[in-house]
This record gives sequence, structure tokens and C-alpha cells, in this order.
Amino acid sequence: MADDKDVLRDVWFGRIPTSFTLYQDEITEREADPYYLLLPRVSYLTLVTDKVKKHFQKVMKQEDMGEMWLEYEGTSLKWHYPIGLLFDLHASNTALPWNITVHFQNFPEKDLLHCTSNYVIEAHFMSCIKEADVLKHKGQVINEMQKKDHKQLWMGLQNDKFDQFWAINRKLMEYSVEEGGFRYIPFRIYQTTSDRPFIQKLFRPVTAEGQTHTLGDLLKEMFPAAVTSDDGEKKYQVVIHGIEPMLETPLQWLSEHLSYPDNFLHISVIPMPTD
Amino acid sequence: QSMSLSITPAQTAAWRKQIFEQLSERSKREMENFKHYEQAIEQYLHAFINEI
Repeated sequence: MADDKDVLRDVWFGRIPTSFTLYQDEITEREADPYYLLLPRVSYLTLVTDKVKKHFQKVMKQEDMGEMWLEYEGTSLKWHYPIGLLFDLHASNTALPWNITVHFQNFPEKDLLHCTSNYVIEAHFMSCIKEADVLKHKGQVINEMQKKDHKQLWMGLQNDKFDQFWAINRKLMEYSVEEGGFRYIPFRIYQTTSDRPFIQKLFRPVTAEGQTHTLGDLLKEMFPAAVTSDDGEKKYQVVIHGIEPMLETPLQWLSEHLSYPDNFLHISVIPMPTD
Repeated sequence: QSMSLSITPAQTAAWRKQIFEQLSERSKREMENFKHYEQAIEQYLHAFINEI
């Protein structure tokens, strides 16, 4: 059987084929062709869409180009969520490529944060990593690192360098055998059918008696409808990185292997497709 | 917090196998027919050491 480290590589090198189309009401000097990209699942939209902006710049006047923002079937896409999470949450079970609409006007102030430079993405990313380490190790690992290590985590993600990133990130995944896992699991559970952006609470990887907590245990506690229903019929899919792990999968293992680079396990709970 | 039963080796084999298989299927589904698409990130040697 393949090695667990292969999972880390598969997660890192996941790509989503995406078609970018300019919104019909944008003012252009001539018709704009769609633009096609393979988006890294673990990255952020505003970090990897420079080429999209440049492509549409060719047919637009500078004065008609405000801050670029992206939308999928009426939903503004949050750049501060990882790309894989956005796809799993909003576009699972749809035909590929992922059809994203590009806007340069009418920025949706209520829905999206502005992203004026890559420094904003870096600050958000590092803030998530620090929060995750507070949950896992009381922040001791990230605080003991040097500034160049923090930079290496960010540069690894920005430049798609798996080895560079994991040379440092492995330290954030360590724990003592006696403890049996992290202090708490950094996780967020998302659903499209709620006004609440996500569920995040304290949850340990093992019980007080030392028993392993599984993905099913977490969901039973945080979102029972995702694992049980009155009629026994499966109503939701629980998706991480485009796959549905078995509910028996230990949470600690998932946290070590299926967390995004921000060190959070981003879990999408989506209604089962009806067709 | 809820209790879970001890996980048996057979169960461990099952969930691990299922994750490997699903990741492999995901790669086929999401990448196999789209290799001609442009990569969003160029693979180049970045002199990050000089920046930090």
C-alpha cells in the first residue's frame, strides 16, 4: 500500500480545471475569450489569478478596471478561503471545468474582503497558521520558529514548493506519543445552507479515556444531521479535498494529512445531489 | 465529548485504502482531461533565500 506521505503530495498537487469568463456587463473594446487555468486546490484565488487579470486587461480600458473579484453562479468567492474549499463547498458534483465569472465593477463590499496585495494574503495565511498552532501546541511551535521559517512556509505556498513548505510544516505536525495527538484539532465545518460562515469549537483528538476520536465523532458533536437522519437516508456529503473520508477515519490522522497549508482541516458539508 | 470504540487494524486498513483510492480517482477526474490547461503557478527557481 502507498505511504502516508503520498497523501501529503496528492493533497498539495491537487488542481482544479477552471474556465474564467468576463461578466457580460463589463465594458470591453472587443470580445473577450475565456481563460483556462489549473488552479492549485491549496492556494488562494487572488494569489494565482494574475494571468486572468492580464488576459482581460487586453480588452479593457484601464479606467474600467476596478479591483477584480470572482463569482460562481451568483456566489461571490471569498479569496481568503482556500480554492479547494471553495470548489468543494459551491461546485462539488458539477461538470468540469469550474466556470467562474470575472468582475471588475461593483465590488461586493458586504461579501468580500479587499485584497490589495499579496501581503494581505500572507498576513491572513500566517494568522491562520498561528491560530492553528495555538490550538495544537498552545502556540509554542510557531512562536519558537525564526522569522525565516515563517517566510519559508509562505514562500513554499506562494511558489508551489512542496519540499520547501513541508521542511518547516512538519514541525507544526509533531506531538508527543504520550499525548496521543494535538491538544485540540484545528477544524472548520462549512455549509452553504447556513448564514453562519463555519462551525469551529474545541475538540480533542482523543477522549479523556484515551480512545481515538474519529471524523464521525466530530460530526456527531458539531453537525449531527451530517451523519444521521430520521429515515436512515444519507442527506449530506462530507467532503475534504474533493474526497469523502470514511467516518471511522481518526481525526488526528486527518489533521496531520488532510489539513490545508494554513493547518486547518476545512470540512464541507453539502446536501446530497438530488438527481 | 462523545466516545468512540477502539479502532481495529481491519478498520484502519479500510479507511486508509479508501482515502488512497479516492485521491487517485480525484486526480483522474480533475486533471486527466485538462492537462492542456495552463498552470496557474509557474514552476521556477525562486531565490527566496536572498529575500529573507
